[in-house]
Amino acid sequence: MIAVSSSSKEKTMKLSKQTINDVLVIVIENKEANLSKSEQFKELIFQDIEDGAQQLVISFQHVEYLDSSFLGALVAILKKLLPLKGKLVLTQLNKDILNLFALTRLDKIFNIESTLETSLQKF
Amino acid sequence: MKQITPIKIGLKIPKNPDDIQEYTKEVIETLSSNVTITEDNRRRIKLILVELVTNSIKHSEDPNAEIRLTINHPQLTIEKVDVGLQIKFRSAEQIPFEEVNKTIKVDFTKLNSLNIKIISPYRFKFLDAYRENMDIEHLPEHFGFYIITRASDNFEYHHNPWSKENTFIVNIKL
Repeated sequence: MIAVSSSSKEKTMKLSKQTINDVLVIVIENKEANLSKSEQFKELIFQDIEDGAQQLVISFQHVEYLDSSFLGALVAILKKLLPLKGKLVLTQLNKDILNLFALTRLDKIFNIESTLETSLQKF
Repeated sequence: MKQITPIKIGLKIPKNPDDIQEYTKEVIETLSSNVTITEDNRRRIKLILVELVTNSIKHSEDPNAEIRLTINHPQLTIEKVDVGLQIKFRSAEQIPFEEVNKTIKVDFTKLNSLNIKIISPYRFKFLDAYRENMDIEHLPEHFGFYIITRASDNFEYHHNPWSKENTFIVNIKL
């Protein structure tokens, strides 16, 4: 029997943000993009969009894994941007996360770039 | 192949989403100590475990919910088992199904539709719901079952009306 002890890991979403050439660059600081944070993440980004941000880059450089609930939050953000003619680029995804996007074919829906530099060139 | 006879392992499911990653690592280590796992299969198994456990944390109230692994080389079966109410659909027919061996579309939640094939009154198989050129507006926002369907070779659900056990059954060829 494997038992995992209750962790003291961060349960709240930690994001760092900076604006570069009118593009809001959001770096997810958590290692785990999962069920415990997906709803909070979606609400935080929705607030940024409502505050006027429509050109977004989201960096996953610190994220080790991402689950279906977080994937759903990303789709909801993309849908929110659609009528506003906004744009979303995802960047710095690790191999496992890239594999998840390929498996779900969401790599055909999202703009995915390997670096922040190439992401900013998409705007 | 290190083993000839089937190996069965039971693993209690964590209750905290932030323990899932560590849990999946330990499960895969347990599997690796019994059978050779390729990098591709490691990724698939990890995705399946994450989604089965997430589903359990979201929907199951059974404190004894568990993941059961059966290695019968080259077949790996991963089952998520809990006791509780059977799965309910927002629309369409409900379990027990009256007509078997047919495909129907079911809604699990809003924006979460999938096609299933009815195998028996209490059992169905998840079918791959991917469609080319799906527009963003109509994209689902729930991907758990979809991920498991695409990551596995076969994905089924079974409800036992007598024991009240709900079992999600995933098969992978190792």
